[in-house]
Amino acid sequence: MIDTLLSGQLLFSALVTGSLYALVALGLNLVYGTMRMLNVAHGDLVMLGAYAAFWAFTLAGVSPLWAAPLVAAAGAAFGVALYRGLFRGMLAKVTPSTAGKLEGNSLLLFFGLSILMQNIAALAFTPNNRAYAYLDQVFRIGNVSMTANRLLVLCVAGGVCVAVALFLSRHVAGLAMRAVIERREAASIVGVDVDRVQRLSFAVGFGTAALAGVLMSMLEQFSPFSGFPFTIAGFIVIILGGLGNVTGGLLAALLLGIIETYGVALTSANLRSVLLYGSFVVALLVFPNGLLARRLVTR
Amino acid sequence: MKLMATRRRSVVASIAAAALALGSGLSYAQADKPLRIGFSMARTGMLANATPSQLNTYELWREQVNARGGMDVGGTKRKVEFVIYDDQSKPEQAVRIYEKLITDDKVDLLLAPWGTPFHIAIAPVLEKYKFPVVGNTAASVALRQVKPGYIWFTTSAIPDRIGTELTAMLKQQNVKSVAVLSNVLPFTKEIKNFVEPELKKAGIDIKVSTEYPPDIKDMTAALTQVKQANVDAVLALAYPGDSVLYAKQAKELGLNNPFQFVAIGPSDAFFPKAVGAASADGVVTIAHWSPRPEWKGSQAFYDSYVKKFGEDPDYLNSALAWMSLEILETAVAKNGLDKEKIRATIASDTFETINGKVKFEGVQNVITPTAFVQYQKGKLQIVWPANIATGKFEAKKGW
Amino acid sequence: MDRPGPLWVGLALAGVAAVALLPVLGNEYLVGTGLTVLMWLALTPSWCVLSRLTGYVSLGHVVFYGLGAYLVVITWQQWPLWLAVPAAGLLAAAFAALVGGPALRVRGPYFVILTFGLAELVKFSIMAAESAMGMAARILFGAPDLLAVYWMMAALALASLGLLAWVSGSRFGHGLRSLRENEEAAETLGVPVVRYKLIAFVLSAAIPGMVGAVMALRSTYFVVGQVFDPMVSVTVIAMALLGGGDGVRGPIFGVLFLALLSELLWAQAPLLYMILLGAILVVFVLLVPDGLIGLFQRWRRKGAAG
Repeated sequence: MIDTLLSGQLLFSALVTGSLYALVALGLNLVYGTMRMLNVAHGDLVMLGAYAAFWAFTLAGVSPLWAAPLVAAAGAAFGVALYRGLFRGMLAKVTPSTAGKLEGNSLLLFFGLSILMQNIAALAFTPNNRAYAYLDQVFRIGNVSMTANRLLVLCVAGGVCVAVALFLSRHVAGLAMRAVIERREAASIVGVDVDRVQRLSFAVGFGTAALAGVLMSMLEQFSPFSGFPFTIAGFIVIILGGLGNVTGGLLAALLLGIIETYGVALTSANLRSVLLYGSFVVALLVFPNGLLARRLVTR
Repeated sequence: MKLMATRRRSVVASIAAAALALGSGLSYAQADKPLRIGFSMARTGMLANATPSQLNTYELWREQVNARGGMDVGGTKRKVEFVIYDDQSKPEQAVRIYEKLITDDKVDLLLAPWGTPFHIAIAPVLEKYKFPVVGNTAASVALRQVKPGYIWFTTSAIPDRIGTELTAMLKQQNVKSVAVLSNVLPFTKEIKNFVEPELKKAGIDIKVSTEYPPDIKDMTAALTQVKQANVDAVLALAYPGDSVLYAKQAKELGLNNPFQFVAIGPSDAFFPKAVGAASADGVVTIAHWSPRPEWKGSQAFYDSYVKKFGEDPDYLNSALAWMSLEILETAVAKNGLDKEKIRATIASDTFETINGKVKFEGVQNVITPTAFVQYQKGKLQIVWPANIATGKFEAKKGW
Repeated sequence: MDRPGPLWVGLALAGVAAVALLPVLGNEYLVGTGLTVLMWLALTPSWCVLSRLTGYVSLGHVVFYGLGAYLVVITWQQWPLWLAVPAAGLLAAAFAALVGGPALRVRGPYFVILTFGLAELVKFSIMAAESAMGMAARILFGAPDLLAVYWMMAALALASLGLLAWVSGSRFGHGLRSLRENEEAAETLGVPVVRYKLIAFVLSAAIPGMVGAVMALRSTYFVVGQVFDPMVSVTVIAMALLGGGDGVRGPIFGVLFLALLSELLWAQAPLLYMILLGAILVVFVLLVPDGLIGLFQRWRRKGAAG
């Protein structure tokens, strides 16, 4: 038991799982942070990204590595289009007193979009399970076995998360985004172009979701209805880490990955979901604003 | 889209037949009315990815039957038209759909939905309206509690028999120790409940016995435990979703036990595509069908399925669906649409199907043996029991 | 809160008449449809008692439903139904009382996801417990027929609407609304905020518990995962939001609209209905942001002005 716990194998798994959760949660956090909207269709974007990578690979032989940036860009473009078409209008009309209604309406809107995406995908692609084998060679480093595609996911997802975190703390546009996340009205007073920030967060949010889908498609099977678990995972992560707190989200994702592997190792696979949701509920009851809470001004 | 095409084709066929009748002065009033067959199928929701193997089989059958001029209804041929509704992966919705099909759409015949919960859910409705349905993709010891009368269960993959037969097979392969990993969902949990006592009775050492919830994303901790136990056989009682997860992670951790059993999933063409053909080879799973020369029509079914859909049929679900259709066809050819006569025929006759003979006693099929198949060089071969085997068990050589 | 005018009283009476006459006039399929509508009419107003009035949006409403169903299933053929169904409501209420205190300290979107997590936690805990007891699935043979279930659900729908109407018009309801506007201010004004929230939470739990218990009778085969279906929680929210408003009329509109629309769609457009549903939802939110109640009020005001 001890040697299992100390071996790198569990750590590797925890990191792979955690990094994918982190990437999925990232976009969700940005959209919520800048616009206070819960994108319940987020997991379906992941699903669409997975399909894009799948078709690219099986129909055109394009490896997911090449497809990834293209799919991410397509996702970002889709996000911007959606923002311009649907949300910009909605957000412009909001006042502090109608903010609550916006939350409800945006929930319904994203829910409708989720239904649309799932079922159009089911009609177009059939509900069949899809998967493909790519980079599935296993190699050992020390006493840890790794499947090549899992290592790849860890590196890409981890890298993108770190890159976005750096962007938010170093780059001007990133700082502007953080300003909008933390204090929206103040940000616009200081001259931040809130519309541009919102557009950017939709782009990054949707783009990272699509990228997560490409990565996921290498690891798991998926169907038009397999987006929902990713939405759930994303929400658990961003709430646990504190809404709008990107670093918090990364840590929360890692924590969940650790519970999934080490938690099960210490108890039993039977308790896997009980542990995950139990930890989440207990953590939130003790830290009502998330683990790394930074009280955001709610409109 | 298919539904509308079906209707269009039947409408055209009916018009053509009517024109012919007028032209020849004879009355074909009965024959040109399409035969409406209804059923529910999960097209959306969590189970939607499991149903295509059954729906495809139904569609293939309809195409072939209509190409022959229609289904034989007590001597008259009538073209088949489907009335399909989506039960959204919810058994309560399936109940409503069958109520609608019977009382509102007033269909001529019914086919079974996919899955055990759905079969059991509609049984009371069929009982109430005295409407016989040949079930297919349902497997649970609970089925025996269903009042015999209007639904029958074609499969032999009942968990208690699986427990006995699997243990017998393991004993024959001189397996001394096993690890059992089970999804807590009903079918696999039932198998676990039955196989473990059988293993103990046979003196086989269960070194690891663990369960997991259906939404598991990572099995590393559990599989590390299995690897360390160094057993002869691993029984991964998995559902299709986690069957792929198990295979991939078993490969990563190097679980090279010679006997690898994965309960559900590998019988579907999807499995080798997901894990790679080389990894799929050697996996043993539940199925009781394979194209065999002794079974009339089995090769023809296989070939026509591959031709139409570009992939293998599911050796368990597609075969069962086809068998249930053959049984219905025979019963309707003999009795027309008289439901009581159809019921009597299904309950007492012995049928010839692509899986050999089928006969029901009560609700159960008592002829088809509980069997297992194994991937060998990319094809599923029956490796147990010996009397219907198409191949011999080969130890798995890693993933 | 204005008293219902003659139009509303008339509509309410027509509704009651429709519910009473359906089993007499309709076939099995129509009664089944009626049952579905009644079920949502029982679930949605009870959700509104907490979430509409206090602003604490719960995404875990199905947890009460599931607990109630589970109680009926494990006491099947041991407890008579007239005991099990109310006990189911009590169990749900007890659960709400137990977790409500700590849970309601969490606010806004955190509360939303917390309730979701709570529902999933209960689901998986029961799953683990069932499998530890060696249970695979539970079968319920000999359940009462559709008509009995229908009448039970009608009673629950009436109770739910009545509960919401009563709470909405009471001083308690006003207290809840005040804490929705500004919880801290309400507290300083002397509203017993913590106690009120908890009471609302417990009240909102009892009826869904009984609804779950009654619906368990409709499905002979009980699988934990399917009964604690998150889509139930989401649908309740959707119906309440579509209806809009603050009182009883909103949920009625929302339920009738979405339930009947879905029913029409799946029966008439079997392959496209979900796509149509999604599209209608999107269009609706963009064009009718105040919900059906808002639409109705705007139409009425236009009529009065023009």
